[in-house]
Amino acid sequence: MAGTVIGEGLTIEGDISGDEEIVIHGNLRGRLTTTDAVTVGGTAVVGADITGASLSVAGQVTGDVTASERVDIQAGGKLVGDIKAARFTIADGASFKGNVDMEV
Amino acid sequence: MTETSVIGAGTVVSGHVRGQGSLEILGRVEGDVSVSGNVSIGPSGRVRGNVSGAELTVSGQVQGDLRGTLSVLLEAGARVAGDISGPRVGIAPGALARGHVQTDGEPALAAARAPAAAARPVVLPNRAVPAPAPLPPAIRHEAKAPLPPPAKSEAKAPLPLPTRLEAKAPLPLPTRLEAKAPLPPPPHNAPPPKPEARKPEPPRVPPAPPQAEFTPVRPIKPEARRPPPPVVPVISKGTKAKKKKSND
Repeated sequence: MAGTVIGEGLTIEGDISGDEEIVIHGNLRGRLTTTDAVTVGGTAVVGADITGASLSVAGQVTGDVTASERVDIQAGGKLVGDIKAARFTIADGASFKGNVDMEV
Repeated sequence: MTETSVIGAGTVVSGHVRGQGSLEILGRVEGDVSVSGNVSIGPSGRVRGNVSGAELTVSGQVQGDLRGTLSVLLEAGARVAGDISGPRVGIAPGALARGHVQTDGEPALAAARAPAAAARPVVLPNRAVPAPAPLPPAIRHEAKAPLPPPAKSEAKAPLPLPTRLEAKAPLPLPTRLEAKAPLPPPPHNAPPPKPEARKPEPPRVPPAPPQAEFTPVRPIKPEARRPPPPVVPVISKGTKAKKKKSND
């Protein structure tokens, strides 16, 4: 089970930091930092810079992303911001706007 | 769809958490938590901020107010520094709580919330309440005692009995003694009463009439509560000195 889950309907205004997996189905405004995977669910709205090992986006994310491993934007996902990651995929049906830096 | 949210043991949230659904806190939250569902703060959970929810179950540490619309339960190992309120409040053996606790299910108690809220400075009252609470009353009684006696002591005497006695005893005596003593002595008066009026000495010297001497006496009593007892012996000594001096 994921270490941290932000359920749908829950709003966090502030910074989240940790060393475990974080799954977001709710709203987050602030900053998100972890050393593990980050999953942004389909119902999530995130306005935050994200730093983690990997990022999977099915919802909406606005902010810069730094991942040590990979970033995946799922179908239906929306990401606006710069991405810095070794691997980066954009699924069919996803939307993305920003710069990509895969030179990690 | 309101699934339970979890803040993991390795996660720190610095900011406000609010919204629908239940929340389980195993990590740290530095900020207020306000959700519509239940809040569970695990043994490893720490919250610095106010927590409100339907049913609060605390096994960890909380620095802030706990407000449960249904209930608040502190389980063994819980450490709470802050006010606790809810229709039902439970504190299990082994739980530590420091603060104001109120079960406010009845509307009659709603009125009592106002003062409780006014005195909210959570941390301060907790530390300060025990000490200052006992002190003020004592000071007030003693402070009131010396002030009213000269004019209204007997009238307002509804204070404690001891105060009446002290007020009546010392007051009449000094007035008579000082009244009997000629006016010139007052300057001589200053030296003898030294032990009694070390602080007010300066004010004492100038006032010649006995009445004026009383006014300085007032401040003495509130500052040091012991004056009353010494007054009698000191004055008696002083009067002796006065008599001797006057005789001289």
